[in-house]
Amino acid sequence: MKQLHKDKAREFLRNKDYARWHDETFWSVRSKRDAMASSLPEWETLREKASAIKRHTLTHLDEYLEQFTANAEKNGAIVHWAADAAEFNDIVLGILHEHGVHKLVKSKSMLTEECEMNPFLESKGIEVVETDLGERIIQLKGQKPSHIVMPAIHLNHDDVGELFEEKGISNRKGDHDPTYLTQQARISLRGEFLSADAGMTGANFAVASTGDVVVCTNEGNADMATSCPKLHIVAMGLEKIVPDYDSLAVFHRLLARCGTGQCSTTYTSHFRTARPGASPMHIILVDNGRSSWIGNPDHWESLKCIRCGACMNTCPVYRRSGGYSYSYFIPGPIGINLGMLRDPREHAGNVSACTQCMSCQTACPVKVDLGEQIYRWRQELGNIGKANPFKLALSDGMSLVFGHPGLYKAVTAPFRPFHTVFKHLEK
Amino acid sequence: MSTREDILTRIRSSIKERYDMPALDDIDPINWEDPLQKFISTLESTGGRAVDAGQEDVNTVIRGLFPEAGSIASNLEEITIANINPDTVTDVRQMDGLDVGIVRGEVGVAENACVWVPQTMKEKAVCFICEHLVILLRRDNIVSNMHEAYRRISFSDYGFGTFISGPSKTADIAQVLVMGAQAARSVTVVIE
Repeated sequence: MKQLHKDKAREFLRNKDYARWHDETFWSVRSKRDAMASSLPEWETLREKASAIKRHTLTHLDEYLEQFTANAEKNGAIVHWAADAAEFNDIVLGILHEHGVHKLVKSKSMLTEECEMNPFLESKGIEVVETDLGERIIQLKGQKPSHIVMPAIHLNHDDVGELFEEKGISNRKGDHDPTYLTQQARISLRGEFLSADAGMTGANFAVASTGDVVVCTNEGNADMATSCPKLHIVAMGLEKIVPDYDSLAVFHRLLARCGTGQCSTTYTSHFRTARPGASPMHIILVDNGRSSWIGNPDHWESLKCIRCGACMNTCPVYRRSGGYSYSYFIPGPIGINLGMLRDPREHAGNVSACTQCMSCQTACPVKVDLGEQIYRWRQELGNIGKANPFKLALSDGMSLVFGHPGLYKAVTAPFRPFHTVFKHLEK
Repeated sequence: MSTREDILTRIRSSIKERYDMPALDDIDPINWEDPLQKFISTLESTGGRAVDAGQEDVNTVIRGLFPEAGSIASNLEEITIANINPDTVTDVRQMDGLDVGIVRGEVGVAENACVWVPQTMKEKAVCFICEHLVILLRRDNIVSNMHEAYRRISFSDYGFGTFISGPSKTADIAQVLVMGAQAARSVTVVIE
């Protein structure tokens, strides 16, 4: 049987020092977010607007996708549509083959994780190099991200130092100073940027009215990946569309403040077309379930998510159990919900990883009703044959007993003398 | 049916109720009486620095900031100290190890120290690959917030632009903040 969240969480908690550090680190990120929120009097208005813009956009997604595509094509980009992960991976491979690409550098994209693109391309002989430092570390380690914004948060500087020594990235043995290690990674990745044949980015936003693809990073790796190689491929989920710049301003103000407690990421780059001498930019719009999820009356609002990570940073369960305790590749409250949309039987175990404290939906910049959705998924467990049989029997038994006063009296009669004793003792 | 039509059809049949676009002109965003001062303090908090050129020639100012710089790249007419032109480099690799890149920013944003830098050069790599980036910005082009900024930005035919706020940075190793991840290690905004 597959390990449940609680079992993996128990393993995570065995290393007490690390577990405490993990909890405190995310609480400090959450506190930085709070400081940002309280510095803007219009904060709650921004969240309201962001939620309403997303509701509007998702329920007009057909129109906005067509508008975005028309504008992107007018700008000179080539737009592809992929129904699922397999079609997406095939389109990417087709583009890479067409351009004779051997090495692809890429910036962080949860979508390519979702589609398991890297192993697919590697099996076809393409070298894929992650360039976000955290993603690069876990790629070299052969691991998956444990957080969507801080993917290597489960490793400490000694882990990274030893990894870099083993991979020949650092050469001062035993020097595990983060500044030194970051510098060594910079040198190594610079070589990758300058020798790659293509660069891939995700998209934080895609603007329907202009055809812009917008990518936010702190490292500048998406910019290096698109300034050096002569081919740029964008991978984006359908839900990344925003109507226009006025809407984008709202999301931009919220994204980094909620995610890391910064006023903005260092770079917010707008890509309309390829640079001179480069091949046309390719944009791949990926569905992979999204078009159907819009029709789920109880759970479609999970598609509003802008992937800031605030819900996991604040979640008392995530902070104390880590990203690897969840069965879906996105952890925390949003990951529980997206996993259930993806495959409820496979990921039903995650819905237990919630105390219903609702901190997630209080922190969410676009007001996804994360905790309430988890509650609703729990109510649906019986329908998918995933309800805990013991709890189910207990719950059925209690309804029976509490619903019939005669039965209640009969069942509780043997315990009544204890009640008298307790009352006596209280005096 | 094509994948595109297939997806659009599925979206149309999934949508239960179409929600209206909210009004955005009633947000009442934060404004500063002195956006320049706020811009400078926010920039410092991101690890960048602002230098007021006053009446001085920007070439003198930049030379004074980077006396050791060997390679300086810019295509701006007013920059006379550059020895590399991003319009004429034939291969981006020629700019690897570049000491200083000098570009012009169009709009500065007080709330987050973002500066809008539209691509106005053939190789935009100059903005990222340099060790130290200098952005020229006119003091009357600083606005309070992103709502104003997004109403003011424009593109050249190159079709790329980026908001830059401070130096490239990462905290991916044990949450320790390090400047100079993959792009410029320092950012200096020269206020004109």
